[in-house]
Amino acid sequence: MVIIMRAGASEEQIAEVSYLVEKRGMQIRRIIGEYQSILGIVGDVATLYSEREQLERLDGVENIVRISKPFKLASREFNPVDTIININGVIIGGKDIVVMAGPCSVESREQILETAHIVKDAGAKILRGGAFKPRTSPYSFQGMGEEGLKLLAEASQETGLPVITEVMDHQMLPMIMEYADILQIGARNMQNFTLLRAVGEAGHPVLLKRGMMSTMEELLMSAEYILACGNDKVMLCERGIRTFETYTRNTLDISAIPVLKQLSHLPVIVDPSHATGKWDLVAPTSKASIAAGADGLIIEVHPHPKVALSDGAQSLTPSNFIDLMKDIDCISQAVRRCYERG
Amino acid sequence: MIFIMKHNATEEQVSRVVSRIEKWGCQAHLSTGKEQTIIGVVGDVRRIDTEVAARIDGVDSVMRVQKSFKLASREFHPLDTVFDVNGVKIGNDHFVVMAGPCAVENHDQLMETAMIVKNAGAQILRGGAYKPRTSPYSFQGLGEEGLRILAEAREKTGMPIVTEVTEPQLVDMVASYADILQIGARNMQNYALLHAVGESQKPVLLKRGMMSTVDEMLMAADYILSHGNWRVMLCERGIRTFSTYTRNTLDISVVPLLKQLSHLPVIVDPSHATGKWDLVAPVSRASLAVGADGLIIEVHPRPEEAMSDGAQSLTPGNFQELMNSLKPIASAVGKILS
Repeated sequence: MVIIMRAGASEEQIAEVSYLVEKRGMQIRRIIGEYQSILGIVGDVATLYSEREQLERLDGVENIVRISKPFKLASREFNPVDTIININGVIIGGKDIVVMAGPCSVESREQILETAHIVKDAGAKILRGGAFKPRTSPYSFQGMGEEGLKLLAEASQETGLPVITEVMDHQMLPMIMEYADILQIGARNMQNFTLLRAVGEAGHPVLLKRGMMSTMEELLMSAEYILACGNDKVMLCERGIRTFETYTRNTLDISAIPVLKQLSHLPVIVDPSHATGKWDLVAPTSKASIAAGADGLIIEVHPHPKVALSDGAQSLTPSNFIDLMKDIDCISQAVRRCYERG
Repeated sequence: MIFIMKHNATEEQVSRVVSRIEKWGCQAHLSTGKEQTIIGVVGDVRRIDTEVAARIDGVDSVMRVQKSFKLASREFHPLDTVFDVNGVKIGNDHFVVMAGPCAVENHDQLMETAMIVKNAGAQILRGGAYKPRTSPYSFQGLGEEGLRILAEAREKTGMPIVTEVTEPQLVDMVASYADILQIGARNMQNYALLHAVGESQKPVLLKRGMMSTVDEMLMAADYILSHGNWRVMLCERGIRTFSTYTRNTLDISVVPLLKQLSHLPVIVDPSHATGKWDLVAPVSRASLAVGADGLIIEVHPRPEEAMSDGAQSLTPGNFQELMNSLKPIASAVGKILS
């Protein structure tokens, strides 16, 4: 349920409404817009909604709307204003497309430092790299663990790029937060509710990947878990879904981008590397994602894909990535007027 | 199997190779590039010994095509297929927009829509006269009367028309009105129909079946190509997945994939792929950016009154806005949108 305050409603009027709502055991999220404030109410709102006529009579209240979707805090009805997330000065969800890039896994000090410089020089704003890897086979390289996080932190210091890395288990969260600027929840963990609650309580920015068999609604309900714990710095990530077509590793659901932007105020990032699984399809689908209205991309880049310990087939070489960044810039300019952001 | 001729091979050497191939009981398809001539061979190629064949004068090398589709493959024909439909260029760097109503409903509706889409920049007019509807109780189309109206709209606007043909017996009649024959998703593997449109020698828009793989689609294209009908376009129109928020799921990466595997132009149908009018514009822009050669879009003067596909049809205003937004993207990806 949402209480929309009149433009110019005073702080006292807002406090009065908040007091009445909280007295009934419900929580309030206040969204401050340019002209008016909106009070998002969560909890058992049924009784409160049945008394809406009384509430609407309070000074400063314009109207009251019940949210029809099962996800509330994640919905655009609840918060019509695009969420903008500031990661150490990098703005996500704003006017500019943000590219996160780096290797699938941190493999060695040389590899991560070399890649960090390459992607930074090409225009990436955030460094990706996995230290804890959820690999399909238990016999595959599982990542360097904390040692990998230390190397990521060193690369971040050297380049000034904030770091995104995956957290697989809620027990590791405090340790990973010491090194990472953005926590990634992988596709396989999209409905690991313990982990979602933990990152929600941690309050750290989160990139939430869509599960490979998850619907839009399920993805937004998972985002709701994090938001409901008071963490509003959530990004949604489309990374391809499972279909009968196995020519590509997954099938990039391109229309998920405009759908999520309609249903939610959260930034939408696309992972073309996992969506296609083939390096030579990464560039065209990256361009398509920007043209469809995505806020950013997360791309795998490796200095020598042939010797990569994971995801070599879908990693771009440095020169592929430099070319792609130029193309992304052209497309962003071309669609600038189509999508109002921020 | 393909024969790659030497750079300096003479025309005489090429024709000698062709007659040798025919003597082996196979058919030869010539692909003459600026630099090099490539001869594609179909038939029972097991009779040809590649080592012997490679020794014929002018031949550089001989390879067997590994893919299950031959004529549609880029190995067979390395250059993009480009063709002309009544003055409209399709393929390579040309970007074509086909637009119009889902179904021809009456004379006035089609004429009005034709003028609207033409003025907004569409080059080809779409409209269904024979409609393969899921329910037998839904509007099935105006039939031949609809085709007459389409032909009249072509007279008036100069736009070529694309319309669906649903059965082999109707191919000759539909071909007498249409400039492009559309094979719908449900008919992608209707082999009698594929043979018939191949025979007709009319340009064909072949839609991907909603549960068909890339290989199956390209083999369906081979059915048409094997009749010597080279003017075939492939159309991605969304596949069926567990996600039902949209009518289908547009498989965007199939566009660059088809362009790698095949020389045929690739068209995207964002209307059927999404089923929702407000998703048509963003996925159209994505399709152009990913490298498609064109779009086929449903437009209706009053979607709320449409007899079919009202939910996914653009209003004239929506369509104009979309066309305007495509221009800067086309120049960013090096496509000509006339």
